[in-house]
Amino acid sequence: MPLPQLLTSAIEIGINQLLALDPDSPARLAKLKGKTLQVKVKELPWPLIFSFSDQVDVRTSQTATNEQPEAPISSDCFIELNLETLPKLKDSSQLTQLIQQQKLNLIGDIYIAQTFSTLIKDLDIDWEEQLSQYTGDVVAHQTFSTMQSAFSDLKRQLTTSAEQLSNKLTEPNGLSVSKNEFFLFSDDVSDIRSHVERLDARLAILEQKQLSRTSNTKDDTQ
Amino acid sequence: MSVSDTKNTDTDNNTTHFGFKQVDKNQKVDMVKEVFQSVAAKYDIMNDMMSFGIHRLWKRYTIDCSGVRAGHKILDLAGGTGDLTAKFSRIVGESGQVVLADINDAMLKVGRDKLRNLGIVGNVEYVQANAETLPFPDNTFDIITIAFGLRNVTDKAKALASMHRVLKPGGRLLVLEFSKPTNEMLSKAYDLYSFHLLPKMGQVIANDSESYQYLAESIRMHPGQDELKSMMDEAGFEHTSYQNLTGGIVAMHRGFKF
Ligand SMILES: C[S@@+](CC[C@H](N)C(=O)[O-])C[C@H]1O[C@@H](n2cnc3c(N)ncnc32)[C@H](O)[C@@H]1O
Repeated sequence: MPLPQLLTSAIEIGINQLLALDPDSPARLAKLKGKTLQVKVKELPWPLIFSFSDQVDVRTSQTATNEQPEAPISSDCFIELNLETLPKLKDSSQLTQLIQQQKLNLIGDIYIAQTFSTLIKDLDIDWEEQLSQYTGDVVAHQTFSTMQSAFSDLKRQLTTSAEQLSNKLTEPNGLSVSKNEFFLFSDDVSDIRSHVERLDARLAILEQKQLSRTSNTKDDTQ
Repeated sequence: MSVSDTKNTDTDNNTTHFGFKQVDKNQKVDMVKEVFQSVAAKYDIMNDMMSFGIHRLWKRYTIDCSGVRAGHKILDLAGGTGDLTAKFSRIVGESGQVVLADINDAMLKVGRDKLRNLGIVGNVEYVQANAETLPFPDNTFDIITIAFGLRNVTDKAKALASMHRVLKPGGRLLVLEFSKPTNEMLSKAYDLYSFHLLPKMGQVIANDSESYQYLAESIRMHPGQDELKSMMDEAGFEHTSYQNLTGGIVAMHRGFKF
């Protein structure tokens, strides 16, 4: 199985699917049309080459085993960096700084690297809208609010418990847990449990609503 | 099934092989045409099914070996439904050009419709042509690819010479084609798959087991890795080399014209 091609194909599918979810991305992608960006991550044996058109094509450059390495593919912008520097590319304003710190070697047009970095960073995907395509607006909105409030509740509870625990551990006699404290902790756990059960019930109601919605739509069409 | 004792090269007299059958050389073109006329509509879906989608990775590998860049002029020979053309077209951009050439108008039509639906217009030209007698001036293309096509050509030596003629000095030819698995076990499993399962899949999906029987047979009759490499040398290509993919089920041959 040609592994590098599996990787580039996964990156390509991922990028293009994300771009397709943001209605503003074609306009931003157009700025890069016809350009090529080559990224050489030092830890990888082959470069990643991004070609921009109405989509992003990702490939690599391969030489047959019994051949001298070829001259690098000519590209409008060539970047060489370590794997650990890669995530920092997300912030295009850091590029010059990275070059000065010699963490990044750049040959060619820096504008291409900056624009590509902004293209990915500024992706503005309305996940609620995406979900609504499958479930309908109301359900998507409710699911989102439910999930959001559930997560913040859960986070609050966990923080409180964690604070109590850490207070406990930093006390001089911290390791002895009194009966009282044990009951308090158990209460917290059962609180969380009932919270999860409530969440479960709310999701079940949403599911029910969705089912009846679909069957109503079916009835309508009959 | 073993066919190692059968001659792989094109026969010298007036007959040649069509799968395991021996047929008149003049007949083969029409018979191949019939096969692809018959599979054209279902070609893409069959490709995915038969190779479990891996043909996409083999094609990507070919592109990665091509050294393609914006502005290049490329011939995708026996290009069929245009998988390679689509990607090349986006990479070479407005200043480049891709010619999708195929002997079969049904395949060309499926290819053209597919590419247009993908929004690929402007830098692609569709030409009906026989690989043996390419209708282009000398030294025209930077890159020529022929993917899963050479095996169907009646006179392979003539076709390779024709490709050499239309390639620019400095240009390269990439031949992606089924080849000989390097491992005995894999070879047996592959035989079992292609002679037993493949025609059945062809029957169920494309209602055409014969074409897929031909496919399996033509793969066995195609020259092995080293033989094809020598044929490329003879046609005048230099620095020829090949790379086995997926255990030699497929090989990618590469040669330059200097
Ligand atoms: C198996 S398909 C490959 C299509 C495409 N290259 C791909 O990889 O998906 C083989 C193609 O070769 C074409 N072909 C067969 N003999 C040919 C010849 N002598 N000259 C040009 N094309 C030919 C057929 O019409 C068919 O479209």
